[in-house]
Amino acid sequence: MERRTFIKLAGASALSIPLTAPLARPAIAQGATTVRWWYHFDNPQHSPAELVAKFEAENPGIKVQAESIPWGGGNDYQTRLFAALVAGNGPDCAMVRLSWAARFQQMKALAPIDDLIAGWAGRSDIADNIWKLNKGADGKQYYLPLQYVVLYLYYRQDLFEQAGLKPPATFEDFRSAAKALTKADVSGFGLRGGSGGFDHWGPFVLGGGASFDKGGMLSEKALAANRWFVDLTLKDKVVPASAPTDSFRQIVDSFKAGRTAMTIHHVGSANEIVGVLADKVSAVPVPRGPDGKGWTYFGDESNAVFAVSKAREAAFKWCAFLSTAENNVVLNKFTGQLPIASSAAKDWTLHPKRFVDASAASLPFAASLPDSPKTPDFIARIWPANMQRALLGQIQPDEMMRAIEQHFHG
Amino acid sequence: MPFWFLLPAILITAGVVLVPVAQTAWLSLQDYLLYDPDNARFVGLGNFARIARDEVFWISLSQSFVWITGVVGLQFLLGLVAALLLNQSFWWRGLARSLVIIPWALPSVIIGLMWTWMYDFNLGIINDIALRLGLIAAPIAWLARPDTALYAIMLALIWQGFPFFAVTILAGLQTVPAELYEAAEIDGATARQQLFYVTLPAIADVIATALLLRTIWVANSLDVILVMTGGGPGYATHTLPLYAFLRASSSMEFGYGAALALILTAMLLAVVVLYVRRAARGIET
Repeated sequence: MERRTFIKLAGASALSIPLTAPLARPAIAQGATTVRWWYHFDNPQHSPAELVAKFEAENPGIKVQAESIPWGGGNDYQTRLFAALVAGNGPDCAMVRLSWAARFQQMKALAPIDDLIAGWAGRSDIADNIWKLNKGADGKQYYLPLQYVVLYLYYRQDLFEQAGLKPPATFEDFRSAAKALTKADVSGFGLRGGSGGFDHWGPFVLGGGASFDKGGMLSEKALAANRWFVDLTLKDKVVPASAPTDSFRQIVDSFKAGRTAMTIHHVGSANEIVGVLADKVSAVPVPRGPDGKGWTYFGDESNAVFAVSKAREAAFKWCAFLSTAENNVVLNKFTGQLPIASSAAKDWTLHPKRFVDASAASLPFAASLPDSPKTPDFIARIWPANMQRALLGQIQPDEMMRAIEQHFHG
Repeated sequence: MPFWFLLPAILITAGVVLVPVAQTAWLSLQDYLLYDPDNARFVGLGNFARIARDEVFWISLSQSFVWITGVVGLQFLLGLVAALLLNQSFWWRGLARSLVIIPWALPSVIIGLMWTWMYDFNLGIINDIALRLGLIAAPIAWLARPDTALYAIMLALIWQGFPFFAVTILAGLQTVPAELYEAAEIDGATARQQLFYVTLPAIADVIATALLLRTIWVANSLDVILVMTGGGPGYATHTLPLYAFLRASSSMEFGYGAALALILTAMLLAVVVLYVRRAARGIET
């Protein structure tokens, strides 16, 4: 090769380096994408390590850093998550609740994932009504459903049979049964007036005609339904004296101990209750209101991928993996809730069938609370304080409804 | 020159104490929602004006006074009695001194859960014993009644906190010279007179410091209330720090929560000044 030709070739090669370099860069220089995922399980001994290992084996380029965050009744988890996002140190994705969605949107923490969901094979394995419930207020999808529970009515089969009663289907059936079953040391209904008790109030007051729309708490129907609910305590006296502050643990333990004949909860407590009461207990959907409508709480758990995530697609892959049939079953073994994937739910054997059936029968009228930034405060502060004051006779039931109306609509 | 040796300590203190205090003061002047940080706006003293019109603030404030005086006062009395007993000579004194510290060593959340179950309406041991002894005819919902809930929680905290006084006062008692008691006995002083004219004056400094410290801790404590009632039923067990926490945590109203916290801080400042003066006097002597 002539000296001049060599110089030309060398020059051309040198000029071409910046263009070819990216293609020539060896694959080994690319590090694995890390996805930080926040989660909470009631039982801290449960770990998602098995699922993480399986996912990483199937997706060699992605590492999952699963971080267990204390639940603290929901408030701890929620506050930490929001604080981390504001501080710019949030995870890529996290387990979330529908009632937080409006706050996330207010702070622009979420980006729609409709495009990613559309390309996910497991999409059709989740029921349409669940996709609908999980939609954002603007019709876009921000959450990937993970698991669910639906509140139903637990009742003591044996006590109902002894008293010649049928499981209640309407409010009046319910009140009559509660009165008939209330004895010296047994109360007809284990009412939850403490933390999380809005899911006892909802079936009777929202099911009785109240709504979260403007003026919806102050309609005649709404006020009458709330008076009726408060009267279960003040006039009918079919609830334990501790009802104003009773929370999950108290209502479940009282029911297990035979101190209450009915209570409202979901499949998450079924195995614990059956462990003590065996066939003496069963469940039906919560009673329907006078106009035949019903309302029960759709207790959700989803995964959200945050807008600031630099690993959006990898985070979605991980969330989608958790919502896919086989993996969804493993996850729900840890959480005690119901799998979101239809194919997994079909052969679900981790809870007695009658409770899974009661959950399924409740789905058609199950709903979540309003998609408003004020909803979490309603759950944690406004509802308990006003409900408890009404149950103690410190304020009139209508005053409680005015406080709720004011909270949402000013 | 030696003054400069304090500079690192002053800088660290400023970083970990003064900066957060200044941030809280700044936040208290804003309408700041944690979930809506982009729309935070300066409202001057607006949060304080809202607080003045807030019924729950006034309920929480009055209950804070009951809480502080009741808990600190009874913890002190119980601690003093325990210390006087533990200062006596008896064969299992070592074991008794170890046992008395147990409540103090337990985490507050555990104390809260333990007492919640002891007070439980259906299954609690307190109702069970009272029923068996015939003291009550039917179980009492201690934590669900507005007339008993606050006092029931106070009892739990009194139980948890009295060992602090017991141990602190016991340490003080062991510094009182035996000659003083011998002289008092020679002068014919009764046990009661010895307590009021010898023991208490001799440990007055210890008692004052313990009271000041405990007042600050109790005034700020909210964990036991949070676990046992969450502030309910209604507002029956709301205290000022708990209310500030609820507004900041549940409502995510960081501005309003900071203003509430600042009011509590200002009220405690008098106690803090007293404490700092005592501490400074100790250093000078």
